[in-house]
Amino acid sequence: MKNIKPYPTEEEQPPIKTLNEVDFSATYSYADYMRFEFEERLEIIKGCIFKMSPAPSRIHQGILANIFVPIYNILKGKPCHVYCAPFDVRLAKKSVDDKEVFTVVQPDIAVICDQSKLDKRGCIGAPDIVVEILSPGNNKKELVNKYEVYEESGVKEYWIVSPSEKTFFRYILDDKGKFQPTKLLTEGEEVTTTIIPGFKLVLEEVFKD
Amino acid sequence: MKNIKPYPTEEEQPPIKTLNEVDFSATYSYADYMRFEFEERLEIIKGYLFKMSPAPSRIHQKISGRISNPLYNALNGKKCEVYTAPFDVRLAKKTQDDKEVFTVVQPDIVVVCDQTKLDRRGCIGAPDIVVEILSPGNNKKELINKYEVYEEAGVKEYWIVSPSEKTFFRYILDDKGKFQPTKLLTEGEVVTTTIIPGFKLMLDEVFQD
Repeated sequence: MKNIKPYPTEEEQPPIKTLNEVDFSATYSYADYMRFEFEERLEIIKGCIFKMSPAPSRIHQGILANIFVPIYNILKGKPCHVYCAPFDVRLAKKSVDDKEVFTVVQPDIAVICDQSKLDKRGCIGAPDIVVEILSPGNNKKELVNKYEVYEESGVKEYWIVSPSEKTFFRYILDDKGKFQPTKLLTEGEEVTTTIIPGFKLVLEEVFKD
Repeated sequence: MKNIKPYPTEEEQPPIKTLNEVDFSATYSYADYMRFEFEERLEIIKGYLFKMSPAPSRIHQKISGRISNPLYNALNGKKCEVYTAPFDVRLAKKTQDDKEVFTVVQPDIVVVCDQTKLDRRGCIGAPDIVVEILSPGNNKKELINKYEVYEEAGVKEYWIVSPSEKTFFRYILDDKGKFQPTKLLTEGEVVTTTIIPGFKLMLDEVFQD
């Protein structure tokens, strides 16, 4: 019986070689995502495909570094880890089986304190902190779609940074599992968080040109 | 005794003819503000002078129109009135005497429901709604200084709009007189307010290119 080839199983789905083969109206899982062989970066939120900016702007990347570096420095030797995009975060609802994971996002920055959520492919489960840096134009994905999945999955703090207007906004998950908005901050103000004791983000330095 | 000229009183302070005569480290009142005869627009917040942008950008003005027009339409024939900058709002702490008024601001849009607050020169006392449209760059004045005086004065809703990132943010005054932040909104979402029953601001239309 050894040489009889069985019928192809679900595990043997063919690779998806170009973006043209992707059906933006269909539902995709992380298992499908793993079959993508094209260059373009996509995110999956509740099964729906979202395009990512191919190359974020210089300002975007500058602010990313200004937030990432102070977090990285303070977390050295601590149990929490910080990662920046491209880094896959899978948010599972029922099981962590690839075919059952319908949200795969690449936050600009993620802080993860639970080591068991980290695997070779990225993070499975909610990071403690997610940072998204907005781009000019359409921010629906960050403010509507990701807001929902980050809250539902239990991200403790969701930081949203606007480079053009130099504002810093943060949702904090309350004990009922709901995001609570906080004051809109700007240059001259500082951000601290209970997740990283002793950490201080000086917004003057985040936004300096 | 009729022809003897008395010593000049405080009421007879000389006009301030150019911006160079203004001392940015000194404390100014609304009485001083009335002596300014130069073209440049200044605001006074807790006695301190703040420069205003001489000409807001086209996008700034476009967004201003797209918020003030629906407000104007909704308020037609109602007791609340809507005004757009330049329009002086004086926020008094103790008395309404010009010399005792140390905050004079020109919000982008205000809604005033208490007619007794309106006089020939503008509004004295807190408007019900204040809208500020941010500009690229430094927004400390709007997010720190004005936030404080609007909360202290009892502005019921403070709307903050970011044209570049297309976000709409709102503080609502709670029953303890403190501003409570709310969800960061964007295109596709709709703003309603208890101050103007039936009013609906479609953010898709506000931010449309």
